[in-house]
Amino acid sequence: MSGAHKKQNSVFYVLIAVLVFMSVGPVLLMFVNSFKLDVDIIGGTTGLLFLPTIQNYETALCDILWYEPEHLDFCALKFGGSFINSLIIALISTGLTLVIGCMGAYALVRFRFMGRDTVSLTTLMVRMLPPAVLLVPVFGLWNNEFCLDKEGLIGGMIRESFGGRGDVCLAGTHSGIILIYVAMNLPFVIWILQSFIVQVPRSLEEAARVDGAGPFQVFFKVVLPLIKPGLAAAAIFTFRIAWNEYLLASALSDRDTKTVPILIVNNMSEFNVEWGVIMATGMLLAIPPIIFTLFASRQIITGMTAGAVKG
Amino acid sequence: MPTIHLNNLIKRYGEVQVLHGVELELADNEFTVLVGPSGCGKSTTLRMVAGLEDVTEGEIFVDGKPVSHLEPKDRDLAMVFQDYALYPHMNVAQNISFALRLARRPKAEIDAKVKDVAATVGLTEFLHRKPGALSGGQRQRVAMARALAKDSSLFLFDEPLSNLDAKLRGQMRAELALMSQRVQKSMIYVTHDQIEAMTLADRIVVMNGGYVQQQGSPEELFKRPVNKFVAGFLGSPPMNFLSGEIQDRSGEIYITGQGFDLLIEGEKAQAARSHSDRTVTLGVRPSDLRFDEAAPKNKALSLDVTVSEYVGAQSVLLCQCGAANVMVELASETPVALGQTLNFAVNQNGVHLFDHQKETAL
Repeated sequence: MSGAHKKQNSVFYVLIAVLVFMSVGPVLLMFVNSFKLDVDIIGGTTGLLFLPTIQNYETALCDILWYEPEHLDFCALKFGGSFINSLIIALISTGLTLVIGCMGAYALVRFRFMGRDTVSLTTLMVRMLPPAVLLVPVFGLWNNEFCLDKEGLIGGMIRESFGGRGDVCLAGTHSGIILIYVAMNLPFVIWILQSFIVQVPRSLEEAARVDGAGPFQVFFKVVLPLIKPGLAAAAIFTFRIAWNEYLLASALSDRDTKTVPILIVNNMSEFNVEWGVIMATGMLLAIPPIIFTLFASRQIITGMTAGAVKG
Repeated sequence: MPTIHLNNLIKRYGEVQVLHGVELELADNEFTVLVGPSGCGKSTTLRMVAGLEDVTEGEIFVDGKPVSHLEPKDRDLAMVFQDYALYPHMNVAQNISFALRLARRPKAEIDAKVKDVAATVGLTEFLHRKPGALSGGQRQRVAMARALAKDSSLFLFDEPLSNLDAKLRGQMRAELALMSQRVQKSMIYVTHDQIEAMTLADRIVVMNGGYVQQQGSPEELFKRPVNKFVAGFLGSPPMNFLSGEIQDRSGEIYITGQGFDLLIEGEKAQAARSHSDRTVTLGVRPSDLRFDEAAPKNKALSLDVTVSEYVGAQSVLLCQCGAANVMVELASETPVALGQTLNFAVNQNGVHLFDHQKETAL
């Protein structure tokens, strides 16, 4: 072992250092710049010598701060609202995707039915479709087809309680975005979970059936706990995509439902790019996925099925 | 306590038929062992009784009631799987109590039952361990305890000892025998190991190729096998088979073959005399050959010793008789040298004759 240690070339360390710099560098740059004034950022002073300020964060969070920042006379940026939109959309779409995904994957693995292999393959093929291709038809459908008449019973009720004009359509609602995210992520989640469910020994399910479990009890009490690592991996994946997604959300959200990525881009106008605020919102945007990933990755324990059956 | 009746049970997987009308009647509190080589349909039969496989044709009756349409959970049975099938995310206590918790029994009752069963199989200190932290033998015990906790009237075992090493297997076999005496329930046990079958069973059912070959008590099957398959399958080392021809020499029946000329007496001679086909297969167990230099030629086999396997008090000699291999069991202290040609007296009660074509006993 020590021999192998000695052989390690210093070139490897240089390579690792470069890779680390490439991945951490931009984040570091964003972090540093989020504490600078715009003047410092675009002033060309590349040095690390500047007066740190939380002004950018104050601007970003102006709609949820308990005091009014001195440098602002009007709170234009609704970061708080967008943040909550992002959370709602990402969490609900992740939850839905996992629930539907694990059941779908289970059915594809365990049940025999006509066209099973085709369905299994198609789920992955759908994943190959670029979201941009989806955008146009979905935009049309969400705006014109999937609507409730404002004169109708439910549509009328919604218009009465929430206000607004026109028919009640999917476009511009949380549900509209959640729906498309679920559809987008489901194939991959089903595909990932299939490989986890295959590993659950069939005899475990049989033992549970003999022990008196019905089909749902077998699924929830035996299979589901065993594919927890798979669920966690799928959850991280789904949450990250839903959280970062820009293209579809930009087309399907309206002023009240827009997510953080869209808010950030909206900060750029032809007259002014508020670099400092963008950096600050970027930093804030990064926090939930980090927390979510740390939490979910703790569920990824290898060897969950160890000791179930003799190999 | 149920009597179980399998009525003309047939199983097909698509075009392939794996069970050809299995007909069995199992009595109360009986320890039945289904035994046979791999792929003979014994596990399939057991799984059909458990409800894990559909019945293609025929019916399973428990106490006269047809059950083949019922889910496993409605059949009042417990099962021990070949690979244990313990729930890896539950500790031993939770594994044992799983069925009781599903049945929503009161907590106090569950706790008492778990303690009781764990004590029976010697798992009391391990109740809070996960199956992954247990040895093979302990896992086997958990599987057993889980079945016991259910208090079912029928226990099914699907080759439960086949994953254990030889020493542990012997130990668990003894424990199993003890347990079956204590709990007094009907049990069906599947194994490919004829020693397990012989030691545990009240009734052995020998299966081959999807057919029941013979059923009965271990002794009955050992002493009076109905065909060559059963004769060769039960007993270790296995029975020797020699091809020969029946010859009637002025009333005395001889079986003559390559390297032997044996006088047959008693009822076997009667059977041979009335048999139409002249060619037969002679079967003699290794334990029915006794080393005896003075034995008369027509009551003995003369064998060339090729290999001697020393197994302790007993040795097994591999010998040649003409072109056929013959195994002999004898006490190790018998002075035998390889390459010798020795005389072995044949125990007349241990002679079996089988039809050359149909392989049925005469």
